[in-house]
Amino acid sequence: MISTSSADELLALADAILERVGRDGAEVTVVEHEEALTRFARNQIHQNVAESSRRVRLRLMGDDQVGVSEIRGEVEDLQGRLIAAAEAARELAPAGDVTPLPRPDAGSDGPVAHSPATALCTPEWRAGQVGTVAAVSAVAGFEAFGALQTSLTHTAIANSQGVRRHAASTSASLICVARGENGWGYADRHHHDIGRLDAEQVAQEAVETCGRNQQATALDPGVYPVVLSPYAVADLVGHLADLGFSALAHQEHRSFMRPGERLMSQLVSIADDASHPDAMPFPFDDEGVSTRGVSCIEEGVCRSFLHDSATALREDVPSTGHALPMPNTFGPWARHLVVTAGESSLDDLIAACDHGLYVTRLWYVRDVHPLRTMITGMTRDGTFLIENGRLGRPVRDLRFTQSIVDALSDVRGTGRERSIELDESERALLVPALGLGSFTFTS
Amino acid sequence: MKEIAELAIDVAVSGGATYADCRVVQRGIQAMTVKDGRFAEVSSFEDEGMGIRAIVDGAWGFASVDRLDSDSLGDAARLACRIARASARLRRQPVRLAPAPVATGGYVTPMERDPFEVSLGEKMDLLIRADEAMGAVAGVTTHEASLEFVREHRLFASSEGSLVDQVIVESGGGMDATATSDDDVQTRSFPNSFGRHQLCAGYEAIAAMDLAGNASRIAAEAVALLSAPPCPSGRTTVILDGTQAALQVHESCGHPTELDRVRGDEAAYAGTSFLTPDLLGRFRYGSEQVTITADATTPGGLGTYGWDDEGVAAQRTVLVDRGVFRGYMSSRETAADYGWTSSGAMRADSWNRIPLIRMTNVNLEPGESSLEEMIAGTEHGVYLETNRSWSIDDRRLNFQFGTQNGWEIRDGKRLRLVKNALYAGRTPEFWRSCDAVAGPSEWRPWGIVNCGKGQPGQVIHVGHGAAPCRFRGVSVRASS
Repeated sequence: MISTSSADELLALADAILERVGRDGAEVTVVEHEEALTRFARNQIHQNVAESSRRVRLRLMGDDQVGVSEIRGEVEDLQGRLIAAAEAARELAPAGDVTPLPRPDAGSDGPVAHSPATALCTPEWRAGQVGTVAAVSAVAGFEAFGALQTSLTHTAIANSQGVRRHAASTSASLICVARGENGWGYADRHHHDIGRLDAEQVAQEAVETCGRNQQATALDPGVYPVVLSPYAVADLVGHLADLGFSALAHQEHRSFMRPGERLMSQLVSIADDASHPDAMPFPFDDEGVSTRGVSCIEEGVCRSFLHDSATALREDVPSTGHALPMPNTFGPWARHLVVTAGESSLDDLIAACDHGLYVTRLWYVRDVHPLRTMITGMTRDGTFLIENGRLGRPVRDLRFTQSIVDALSDVRGTGRERSIELDESERALLVPALGLGSFTFTS
Repeated sequence: MKEIAELAIDVAVSGGATYADCRVVQRGIQAMTVKDGRFAEVSSFEDEGMGIRAIVDGAWGFASVDRLDSDSLGDAARLACRIARASARLRRQPVRLAPAPVATGGYVTPMERDPFEVSLGEKMDLLIRADEAMGAVAGVTTHEASLEFVREHRLFASSEGSLVDQVIVESGGGMDATATSDDDVQTRSFPNSFGRHQLCAGYEAIAAMDLAGNASRIAAEAVALLSAPPCPSGRTTVILDGTQAALQVHESCGHPTELDRVRGDEAAYAGTSFLTPDLLGRFRYGSEQVTITADATTPGGLGTYGWDDEGVAAQRTVLVDRGVFRGYMSSRETAADYGWTSSGAMRADSWNRIPLIRMTNVNLEPGESSLEEMIAGTEHGVYLETNRSWSIDDRRLNFQFGTQNGWEIRDGKRLRLVKNALYAGRTPEFWRSCDAVAGPSEWRPWGIVNCGKGQPGQVIHVGHGAAPCRFRGVSVRASS
């Protein structure tokens, strides 16, 4: 694992490159990453991997031109090659809109999601946790599939305007699918601290869902009230953010957001909060700008957009610290989505539904009509009929085609418990379960 | 590179590995984008590292490192062995590998013009011309054109004595024009969506795309889509263009014929497959018109190489023969389960990932029809171009696709442009309804650059040869 002096080392490397460039208009990013993942199938470990890498990125600006170079690996004369490649790119890039580098702000390098236990996790420990999952599954007569992942990332950013940031973050994830003769069940946990992932609890949940999800029968497509688990809510909210929270989407007239207008239920409040202690906090973006909390949807009303330096410059406002590596054509990105909790337990949400569906997990969710927030996807690993306020028989997986805004305009209840979930882009969101008045299943 | 690989393998074998292989990879990427005539970016990316896979006590371990000094290599090899021993704690049956000939030799992507020898100025000039042509069309809101070039030097060595050295070169480009109104956003892409079309080829592939020559047309189509009527709903005849046929093959035939999905290796993430081995040779997957192969030797294909990342030679495997399900893409480990040999489809997206079974070039073999003939033979239907949305279940049966363009067909003629087209179905029923595939003159290798699979995630570049094809009685509707 990387030594505790790494922050100084990485910033020293960045400083050395800036000094060698020797002029304004330079930004250096250094990222060291260590990751390990133990993957299991049929109650056995079938893949088990570890990686260690460092990448250095240089953004070079001047004469209204920008060039970027990046090197992963300890190549010979890294600094010289990095600078030469960025300079060659810059000189040949046509002159255009070049956003100035940010200046230092008052933000601190914290809080950060970091756990020494996660950073020190061993293959033997991971195998032991997977053994627990497999044992729980085997006792139930099922087979377990999934992965246990840990990572440690050091990020350092420095630029010629004086920005100097560093953070060391960790992540840990356990996902588990249990398979019986005629059905599946899913559970996961994500946290920065590996000690907070209870393998037995995850396995028990997956096994319980699997046990209930045997011999599913077909259900006619149609419009049903639904209760979505936090696993499913994460995919829904992640897509919603990508379809409209970015200021670039707004500036290009692609966003569904209409500031000041109520588009959703009063029970819906969504923010991007990079300092939330229950999520995966991280203090700055890929330009080294401190990430500020932004309320995007407040009690159903569209509020604010996320900015990077480029979108902020166009509107003459400060960046909110949501930049991806610059320059890019994608625009700002929500990395720390938090949905406000409600007052209902999961049982309350189910009890409030006379006839509907409980959805454990969504799969392969894709945009169909971005401006209308229309998406499609499948249910997976546990879809159940709700009858008279109780979970009923399992039903076969269904395809939905649904506007997210429309779905969130009729919220019947919000879970009081929230969990960290990853969406398909592996972004961590803090989300509750939701009860929705109508959801359209198309096949 | 050879010495690096051999050193790592020696350390692994000394550490108890009964089998070890090592890949040393050096990759360079050059990318450039012009957007709205104002934004331009040129970037270069260099990547270098080594990954070693080892079987110890009958189980797999893998470690990778980007430092290629002897100490780091030795540490990585020992870590791979340690990880394998940890894996063995939870392994009932030892890993078995199907036999494979010892591989030696080299391979270089055939090309006419090395894209890294073409000046950045020439490339930027092409992008600026394409971007300007799109921007000149009234009503276009944003427009963007981009190029990407990849050169990857891969060396593979194994404890069985294999040693292969390959240089794979890719050239890709594409553009998007978007038009917006108060209540609609419409985008047209060329030659394909997902940012670009890419081939294992030199700069000649970019020249052949004629980005600048097609820029005005696709921009005008984006604007026209704003006022186009929605696609009519109902069961009707659907004709897919080559790009959409390629994606249909990818999702509904490529993924379900990956043998690791059948074993359950991807069950928690990418999913499983409805094509189980008991169906081999007897399941009617599609109509007589439908023959699908996995061919890592397709000229120009984005999944074309000399050997896969287990050192198995590139080959052609029939997956569906005149409608009947016949085969899988496999690895040495999965093939051994059935007493087969590997189909040579193990690929890793870089040095820091293990190889998985991935598509090579999964091709819908050409038929005997033509787009013109298919339209002429359609009384009522739609011709659908360029993917806009795609989704399929985890067993690869229930799909729904949307396309950017739709053309309503009446009485054998293209009638009018329609928008927001969606079509949906179940895989075997859909392919059984295929009654025509265009011939070799309309067949092209298409490249898809965003195929995701595995944990940790891997994104691989795959090819699909396809031509326009026709399906009867498909469920079609508009998304609004």
